[in-house]
Parts: sequence; C-alpha cells; structure tokens
Amino acid sequence: MNETHFLKVENLTKLFGGLAAVNDVSFSVDKGSIKAIIGPNGAGKTTLFDLLIGVQQPNSGSIWFEGKNIVGYKAHQIADLGMSRTFQTIQLFGNMTVLENVMVGRHARTTSEFTQVGLRLPKFLREERKIKEEALKNLELVGLGLQADKLADTLSFGQQRLLELARALATSPKLILLDEPAAGLNTYEIEELRNLIYKIRDMGITVLLVEHNMGLVMRVSDEVLVLDYGQVIAEGSPEQVRDDPKVIEAYLGVEVNDFGGEG
Amino acid sequence: MKFKRLVERIALTRPGDFLRRNLGPTVLLIFLLTFPLWEGSVSGPVHIKFLERMRLVGIYTIVAVGLNLLLGYAGQVSLGHGAFMGIGAYASSLLALRAHVPVYLTILMAMLVAVLISLIISPILRLRGHYLAMATLGFAIISFVVLREMTWLTKGNEGLMGIPKLSLPGVEVRTMGGEYYFIWIIAFLILIFSRNLVNSRLGRALKALHHSEVAAETMGINTSWYKIKIFALSAAYAGLAGALFAHIHSFINPGIFQLNLSIILLVMVVLGGMASIWGSIAGATVVVFLPKVLEAIPYWFGNKSLTQWFSNNYSNLEPMIFGIVLILVMIFMPSGLTRGLSDFFRYRRSPFVNPLKRGSGI
Repeated sequence: MNETHFLKVENLTKLFGGLAAVNDVSFSVDKGSIKAIIGPNGAGKTTLFDLLIGVQQPNSGSIWFEGKNIVGYKAHQIADLGMSRTFQTIQLFGNMTVLENVMVGRHARTTSEFTQVGLRLPKFLREERKIKEEALKNLELVGLGLQADKLADTLSFGQQRLLELARALATSPKLILLDEPAAGLNTYEIEELRNLIYKIRDMGITVLLVEHNMGLVMRVSDEVLVLDYGQVIAEGSPEQVRDDPKVIEAYLGVEVNDFGGEG
Repeated sequence: MKFKRLVERIALTRPGDFLRRNLGPTVLLIFLLTFPLWEGSVSGPVHIKFLERMRLVGIYTIVAVGLNLLLGYAGQVSLGHGAFMGIGAYASSLLALRAHVPVYLTILMAMLVAVLISLIISPILRLRGHYLAMATLGFAIISFVVLREMTWLTKGNEGLMGIPKLSLPGVEVRTMGGEYYFIWIIAFLILIFSRNLVNSRLGRALKALHHSEVAAETMGINTSWYKIKIFALSAAYAGLAGALFAHIHSFINPGIFQLNLSIILLVMVVLGGMASIWGSIAGATVVVFLPKVLEAIPYWFGNKSLTQWFSNNYSNLEPMIFGIVLILVMIFMPSGLTRGLSDFFRYRRSPFVNPLKRGSGI
C-alpha cells in the first residue's frame, strides 16, 4: 500500500487529557536520508518519538514502516522490525559494563533460549562470540573501544551519549531515532557527532533526529520538519525552513541562526 | 563433524577462559565432595551436626539462587517464595503419600506444580516495586491459609507425617551422607545452570530490564514475558527445594512455610549479595550457621550458661536477629557479602556503596 515510502506517518494524533501533544501529524522519511525534527520546547517531538517506537500508543492515525502499519505494535516488536532509538534523558544500564550495554543491543538479533544457554550448547557459544564481536565493532565505531570494560555509570556525559548510540546501532536498525543527541555536548563533541551521523547514514541506516542545536541541524540534515503545539508548521530543506516566516514566528521572531546550543 | 564442532568449541574461548570461569566452581565442588570425609574432625566450643545443617544450606541455596535471579538480576521483589517452597513440599509429599508415586518423580512434579501456580499468579508481575512486594505478600498469606484450611488434603495444622525418604530409581537414600550428596549435586547443577544463564543474552536482558524497562524494550527485550519466565523459573527452584525439604524431614506443617520463611529467604539473597549467584551459598550458609556461631560467642567469653540460654531461646530470637543482621548489612555493605568484595577487587569500588541504588526495584 505504502511501499514507496520507507517511513510514512499519517494523521497521527496523541491526546493527553484534552491536550493534543501530537496533532494530526503527517510526514514521510526517505530511505537513507537524514531528517531532523525541530520545534520549541513542548512541541511534541519526544512524544512523536515515543509513538514511533511503540512506547506510547497514538489515539488515531497510522505509522507505515516499510509498508507495514506498526500502530499497536509493542516496543520490542518494533525493535525487531529494525527501528531503534536513543533517549533524551540517558537510559543506560548503569550497573553493566560498557561492552555489556552494547551486547544487550544484540538481543533482538539473537535467539538462544534457556536450555541452550544453561547448558552452554555450541549454538549459544557461537552466538555469544558473534554478539561480542558485533558489540566491539559498534563500540569502535563511536570511539569507545578502550572503555569496554568500564562500568557504564563511570563514563562522562558525552561518552554516555555515545554509548547509547552504540547500543542503538547494535540492534542493526534500518531506522535510528536520535533524541537530542547533542544536548550537553561541547563544540568539539558536536563536531564528532556530526561525523558519526554521516557515518551511520553511509552504513545505510536512515536517521531521524530531534535536536535543538540549530547549527548541527542545518548542516547535517537533508530535510527538516518543524513542529509547534503538536502540529507540523513547516517541512522542507534546511534553507527553506530557515526562511519560513511561520517558523521564525514560532521561535518568537528570533532569527533561527541565532539559536545556539539550547537545552 | 564431531571433530569440527570440537575445534569450534575450543576456538570460541580464549586460552585461560575455561580455567578462569571454572576455577571457583571446581574448588567448591571439591570442597563439597570431600566435606563428609573430614567434617567429623572439625571441632569447636559448640556441637554442630555439620552434615545435617549442610543439607539445609543446599536446600536454601537452591531457593536463594532462584530468588536472586528474580530479585538481584531482574529486580522483581517476591515475598512469596516461602509459599512456593510450601507448595512444592506439599505437592511432593501428597503425591508420594497418597498416590505412591516414587519420590524422584514427585520432586519433578512438585516443580511443575510450583511453575503452574506461578504462571497463574503471574499477572501480578505487572506491578512494580512495593506494589509487587505487597501482592506477593498477599500470595504468601493466601497459600498459608489454604494449606492450613484444606484439612481433607493437607490435614491442616497437624501436618503430614511419615513422608517417604528421598529416592532414586531402585535406591532409597537413607543416610545423612546420602541426602547430603543428593541435595548438593542438584544444588551444584542448579548453580552452574544459573551461572551460565546470567552470563548470556538472557542474563543481560534481566539486568537490563532491572535498570530501565523502557530502554530494555527498545533493545527488543519482551520485558513482561521475561519477568514471567524468570518468576516461573525461580518458583520451580523453590518448589524443588520445598520437595527436598519435605523428604529429608519426613514431617511438614503449614507453619514452616509462613511469611517468616519468605523473609529469611530474602535475607539470604541480600546478605549473600544481590545479582551474585555464588552469594546465594554465602547467604544460605550464614543463615543456617548463624545460630551456632551466636551460641559460641558467649562461650568464648567463658559464659556457659548464656550459651545454654541462647540455644534454648534461639527460635524466639530468630526474627529479631535476622532483622538486626539485615539492617547492619543494608547500612554497611548494601551490595552484600560476596558482591561487595568482588566488586571491590574488580572495579575498585568501595564495598560500602550500593551499586544498585539508582533505578533499584527495592
């Protein structure tokens, strides 16, 4: 039905009491592109992510992912389909090592069950080795290879964000949702992040990101979607969006260029 | 084909991995196997029937491992595992007494019954933290009342007597030593199985859902299903332990499996160390031998009458003593004996800090 689109959201609405956090939102994402969702605080960006990933269920509307309507799917089923995310507030498994955190990410792609695991049958051993290899590869990618044996809690804030990214990548996603990946990072780290996002795109993974850092958004994304009060107010290339009067108004008339690293 | 597999198996592990992983368990196994040979030569100020108590340690270890998987790894509190022990004990005894099923089969059936009941009550796992604790508490109370009041089946407070001894096909295990080996072989296998479990994708899934259910779901972990599975597994362990308990004591009544037992089981887990398989042995050992150690303390100060008083009144003091021990451990070594020490050596983390504090389920 909607095979032409990699991800297509149609008339998505989520109500909290009487308040429409996400109000009749429609947009689509092309395979292999980088799309950013921006908007003032409380515009419904994170709620939109929660709906996409299945943490919350919408009141109406549909989400087509690779030609399948995934509304009503549970979060773990959506992870199986190939969608993964990072969190705005870091949600690492603090008492596990960095490597183990990423190894958790391989869960959806592995199948050993209780008997195989408990008796250490060959299938489990093979799988376990592969999990470790993949996890290390992902850690190398984000540049945390040397921290593999540390506890996740002991990493710096920026490293924790990178670890979340590595963990999300370990699920072998087709689409990755990044929720404010630059929040709390310094200029240097943001530059690293930008390169990383390109690398992820080059691996064939589609990127959808929510971000307040306009510098990053304007440079990295192919397309930008602007939300305000849960509604789409503009969509297009970074240049188009930047010059859109509605967008400028939503940001209180301040030139979008002036926005630095908010949040 | 077989050769290829063997090569593969060896290639999978780094040199030394096998030794590193199995050194501790091997030492433990040697200790357990030889213990009955030299336990007689251990002597102290108070008389301890080591073998008799070690059987109990084995039984408690089995439950504590299961409870540790549930509480320490998956972060789900249960005050109902004493009840699962009771269910296992009654199921096994009744099958052996009334239906004359051989004991080695009734033990398996007892596990099955415990699993079935755990699956029936598994919807309570949707509750979190204190609410789950309350619900399992309710379960423990209900089970106690049911066991007491279903007199036509369980004979109520009178209890069941003359429960057959443990047996294997064709052999009845009659001696203390035989029971010791019977129990500890099972306990050891369960320890190894559980150790393997936690060092795998399943163990990581449990630890993950303990810390952040949302993040775990996003990684493709079906958190509610995993909670049910681990709850059922720990119930199976508890049922098994209960059955073993019944068959070595030949007498049970509902009072044994009251809430008090569930609390003692929790003490073992917390004392031994949350999220520590081997800690379960430490916890069980301390709980079983603590009364004797406490008896010995006044003796060392030359106060024999106090020792006597202590051994006569211990059962009254027990809840209080465990309460004090629990408070002291929570204050001074919140991650438990084994875990506190091993983390100290591994990560140079103070054993006096609780690593589970953030996002902890309890």
